[in-house]
Amino acid sequence: MNKLAKDPINVVVAGVGGQGNVMVTLVLGNTLVHDGYFVTIGETYGASQRGGSVMSHLKISAEKQYSPLIPEGQADIVLGMEPVETLRVLKSYGNQNVVTVVNPRPIHAVDFTGSGAGYPDMRELLAQITGMSAKTYIVEATGEAQKLGNSMLANMILIGALIQTGLVTISREAIEKTIVDMFPKAVKENIAALSKGRELAAKQ
Amino acid sequence: MVTKTKGMGELFKEVINKDLCTLCGACIGDCPYTVFYRGKIRMLDLCTREEGHCYGYCPRTRTDLDAINNKLFGVPFTGAEIGTVKDVFMARSRDAKVRSGAQYGGTVTSLLLLALESDLINAAITTNTDEDKLPEASVARSAAGVMAGAGSNYMAYPVLEALNRMPKDSKEKLGIVVTPCQAIALAKMRLDPPTQRASLDNIRLSVGLFCTWALAYDRFYEFLKNNVDLPKVRKFDIPPPPANRFDVYIGKEVKSFPLDEVRKYRMPTCAYCLDMTAEFTDISVGSVEGIEGWNTVIVRTQHGADIIAEAKKKGKLEIKDLPAQSLAHLKEASLIKKARAVQEIVKKTGDKNDLMYIDISHDLKEKLLGHKVGAQGGH
Amino acid sequence: MQYIDIDAPGSNQLFIGNEAMARGALEAGIGWASAYPGTPSSEILGSLAEVAKKRGIYVEWSVNEKVAIEAGAAASYAGIRSLVAMKMNGLNVVIDFLSTIVLSGIGKKGLVLMVGDDPAAHSSSNETDSRPVSKWLDIPLVEPGDFQEAKDMIPYLYDISEEFGTICILRSVTRVAHARGNIRLGEIPKVVHKARFEQYFDPAAPMPTPIMCVPSSFRHMFQHMRLDKIREKFETSTYNKYVGPEKPDLLIVTSGSGWLYSQDAVNALKAENRIGILKLGTLWPLPEKLVKSCLSKADKVLFIEETDPFLEGVIMEFAAGFSPESKRNLFYGNHTRHLNSFGELTPDAVIKAITGVLDIPYAPRDADYMKKVEAVPQQYVMDRLLTFCPGCPHRASFWAIKNALAMDGRHGFVTGDIGCYSMALGPAGFFQTRTHQCMGAGAGLANGFGQLHRFGFDQPVVSVVGDSTFYHSIIPGLVNGVHNHSDFTLVILDNGATAMTGFQPHPGTELTAMGEPAAQISMENICRAIGARVEVCDPFDLKSTTRTMLSMIEQKEGARVAIMRRTCELVRQKKEEKPYKMKIDPEKCLGEDCGCNRLCTRVFRCPGLIWDPVAGKTKIDEVICNECGVCADICPEGAITREAVA
Ligand SMILES: Cc1cc2nc3c(=O)[nH]c(=O)nc-3n(C[C@H](O)[C@H](O)[C@H](O)COP(=O)(O)OP(=O)(O)OC[C@H]3O[C@@H](n4cnc5c(N)ncnc54)[C@H](O)[C@@H]3O)c2cc1C
Ligand code: SF4
Ligand code: SF4
Repeated sequence: MNKLAKDPINVVVAGVGGQGNVMVTLVLGNTLVHDGYFVTIGETYGASQRGGSVMSHLKISAEKQYSPLIPEGQADIVLGMEPVETLRVLKSYGNQNVVTVVNPRPIHAVDFTGSGAGYPDMRELLAQITGMSAKTYIVEATGEAQKLGNSMLANMILIGALIQTGLVTISREAIEKTIVDMFPKAVKENIAALSKGRELAAKQ
Repeated sequence: MVTKTKGMGELFKEVINKDLCTLCGACIGDCPYTVFYRGKIRMLDLCTREEGHCYGYCPRTRTDLDAINNKLFGVPFTGAEIGTVKDVFMARSRDAKVRSGAQYGGTVTSLLLLALESDLINAAITTNTDEDKLPEASVARSAAGVMAGAGSNYMAYPVLEALNRMPKDSKEKLGIVVTPCQAIALAKMRLDPPTQRASLDNIRLSVGLFCTWALAYDRFYEFLKNNVDLPKVRKFDIPPPPANRFDVYIGKEVKSFPLDEVRKYRMPTCAYCLDMTAEFTDISVGSVEGIEGWNTVIVRTQHGADIIAEAKKKGKLEIKDLPAQSLAHLKEASLIKKARAVQEIVKKTGDKNDLMYIDISHDLKEKLLGHKVGAQGGH
Repeated sequence: MQYIDIDAPGSNQLFIGNEAMARGALEAGIGWASAYPGTPSSEILGSLAEVAKKRGIYVEWSVNEKVAIEAGAAASYAGIRSLVAMKMNGLNVVIDFLSTIVLSGIGKKGLVLMVGDDPAAHSSSNETDSRPVSKWLDIPLVEPGDFQEAKDMIPYLYDISEEFGTICILRSVTRVAHARGNIRLGEIPKVVHKARFEQYFDPAAPMPTPIMCVPSSFRHMFQHMRLDKIREKFETSTYNKYVGPEKPDLLIVTSGSGWLYSQDAVNALKAENRIGILKLGTLWPLPEKLVKSCLSKADKVLFIEETDPFLEGVIMEFAAGFSPESKRNLFYGNHTRHLNSFGELTPDAVIKAITGVLDIPYAPRDADYMKKVEAVPQQYVMDRLLTFCPGCPHRASFWAIKNALAMDGRHGFVTGDIGCYSMALGPAGFFQTRTHQCMGAGAGLANGFGQLHRFGFDQPVVSVVGDSTFYHSIIPGLVNGVHNHSDFTLVILDNGATAMTGFQPHPGTELTAMGEPAAQISMENICRAIGARVEVCDPFDLKSTTRTMLSMIEQKEGARVAIMRRTCELVRQKKEEKPYKMKIDPEKCLGEDCGCNRLCTRVFRCPGLIWDPVAGKTKIDEVICNECGVCADICPEGAITREAVA
């Protein structure tokens, strides 16, 4: 039985180089492949460590292997690790039905800094994001991750929130297996972060 | 005064890239974008500020001479040949040791020593000659330090950089020795004092040097290197007219070059300079025509008068009247420098109404344009 | 951590295309792999290196592509299946050897060259399409259309290579090589590799020696005979397939990434009943019979290719020779401007091409939504330009180079090269780089500029190269410069790694690809042996590095070398804690005032420093800053301080 709300499900993961964008898609991708799905991931790279915008496309299908790029306006889910990047992706890939999960923690760009303009106003930025999404989950992932002891756990919190949207059904066992495979030294923390993400999204 | 100031981009466009820079040093030392290197002010990066002290203080950007004169002496700029004068005489140090190392009478060095000794200043900013015989800035806090600075190096050097580099919270009382263009920059600073660096009120004594022109650091140094044994050089001198020589004292000998040959290396900007006697200082000092080993001294401010009185009291200086003829010659030379500058500027701009940086009254302009000047600048 | 050699035949895994190819190579029983790193190809060798010892194969990061392929050929001659990988730039480097090995032939065991193309030049200096080299040099070439094929094609290609005694090429593009998808694993055979170079002088022997490309015309003819036979073989290859209705309105002919995009596009347009797709996996020699039979299915034919119209050209040329009675097609593609022959292929480009030929409506978002899209203020989505990492030594190196060139004042300039430091074209390196071409070009150009003083040229020339680039292609330039008294400064940014492509070792580093101790080749010894004056400096010591640069620039004649040595920040932070604790004193910070005007955030621009426009002060972003301490030395007010962490 196809447990996807739609086939394929198109997910765009938006962030900034160094945030762990590739890691997020790998956790999701490995889990889904173990669950028997076809997964295709395309990433913009080169920028991966160098402060540029990084975006990964993740296509999930129960039927076939899709191409690594999502056409414009065809995202079903935007997983935003950074607010400006989230808005940027919505502009290109959003549509009337898109569901957005966003971490409202800014990463300043040298260009914002260089021009002296500073980072856009957070409230207005989030209003734009919400206005362009059918449903928006604002998940304070970085803050919560710091409470859990490591800001890198923000990514796992976001994945938890994504699972909570119900658009992709991922079994608990499958994702926990991925965590054990990928982060053998930090299984407990990652599982805690995952639950935290689900909990935060469930409230919204 | 409302002089529209501009930024660093314009400073380079209007002054430095046009070879009008005097190397006063007003734009360096407290700015990360400009440096002095091998005789030139260089831009490391462009500062995008629309207004900057660099442009504002430069003696070759628009300069309101009335405003400056008002600020310093309480009267507008009249264009009098040798500026505002409280007293003028000739003098020399009573200390033979000072005189032996000094350019002429050692008046400058004596005054600095006295100021230091009587706690009028804690430090003297001067231009010394380094081991390579190149000029270098010095902040001297001891008599020995001041003595080391005696003697003239005729290459222009941005000594105001040292002033700009004084720690922001410094309370050190300063004496400073400057050429006329440097004195103008200093005066422009006083008109619009910087807020982000050490207070200009720290300057308790400014001594100006007479100057007809200065030599370009890089090009003249090449010339010297090729013509004399630099390490052995003791002293440079341009004896007053009609000598028409540039003398280099090497050990016990003197090697003379025709002044015309040396003049080739003069700073191009000196041709447009209005001031021979450093009119915007407390005291100005130069040579005395025909009388070796003495200085012409012009006292301009109360500060200046006070230190001279002190010098007299302590017997530091030997003072005599300046022969009337010497004074007349000085005035004529000074007037010629002014007239020549204005005439050269008009030649360059091609417009009588465009005097580049100079802001003077119409009448004065006409007078200077009409004054006869000789074929070339003397010294 | 999962390795590509996991022993789970039949299982499904998520691999990137490069890993799939590497896995395919293991399943093909290779014994040798050599490569020079370059995106998008680097992970082929990288993932093999991780399992090389365990799997009894030899893996090497070679000094450059030419050595990689020649060394790889030796393995083939000695009876070992051999793989060589590179990006398309590398292909240009090896053309000379390729043009002769097609004549001389390979050894008893197969030799496969994997070339990764980078359409849109995401991480490259150009976006050349490698496929035409097959036609040009007479080399069989295949191209995988998905991840599974990327793996499966490798054993197939070794069989072809060995059966016909020729080198074969597998071309992939970024969106296959560097994308991730499902792979069903096969078996990895246990091969006992035994190398021996057999020297048969009998021309009838399987590999007669000497191995040679002469007599060339005769061998050229022989290669064409081989290609004819390979063409026959390709006609029935399962990597070529047609999907779609028997009589489609439109036939798409495609390969590689175009295969998945075409399927996606047809799917998005719901046009499965109107469009058929001929997907080719074996591109050269062209399986002509298959192509001809597919062309007869439809009147209209649209070529979907990334980047060059390669199939478009060869198939139209082929169709031009059809007899007058055969069917004539209407061809669409790049020549009709339905598709570009530059930039990367995307699903949207394919959709647009199709809707340009067939009248099918397509609007993924409604008008209301488009209004919102247009209303997004530009300043909210300002570009993030790439820059050097916080703490990167290159930022400091370019600061010193910039200041030295500015102080010198003779309008000196930098000729650039290929690596992270290419970013010095932009604000990251203060716009210092004035030329940017291929690896080694900066030094070559500097050689030329350095001779022009005889024609009045008086500007200092600085060629800036990376450490890996130095070994790859700079040494001849330096030899030339010293020998001919060319007047330039070579700056080697030695950060101890090939950072741009993922920290592969190079001849100056401690370990080989297989993790064994390497003989480290000292770049300063090389330069000194060549006869250049060499100075080594630490770029984080801005003052002395600037001084060194000045003394280099001011040297009157001869090529000289400044080595700016400091470990890549990304490598350092894996090994050590942050060295300092950085602080900014807001009292001292001048911000935009005269005397600073935000030197740190406006010019120096390390991402660790952020500008607070409200307070008018600079701040440290503690999450981003790597606490290298350099900015403390550029702040004119001493507002930024570093405190050593015990
Ligand atoms: C560039 C230049 C041009 C001059 N042209 C004339 C002229 O045309 N007619 C004339 O009468 N006098 C001229 N002088 C002044 C003269 O050379 C003596 O400096 C002056 O008479 C004082 O003599 P003194 O014996 O008191 O000097 P000293 O007691 O020896 O003191 C000399 C002072 O000059 C300073 N000094 C030395 N070199 C420089 C420099 N490059 N820039 C700024 N300060 C420096 C020293 O630091 C020292 O404080 C010129 C000086 C300079 C530097
Ligand atoms: S360089 Fe120093 S003074 Fe200038 S903005 Fe940065 S921290 Fe402030
Ligand atoms: S210490 Fe300064 S230069 Fe270094 S990473 Fe931090 S902000 Fe950047």
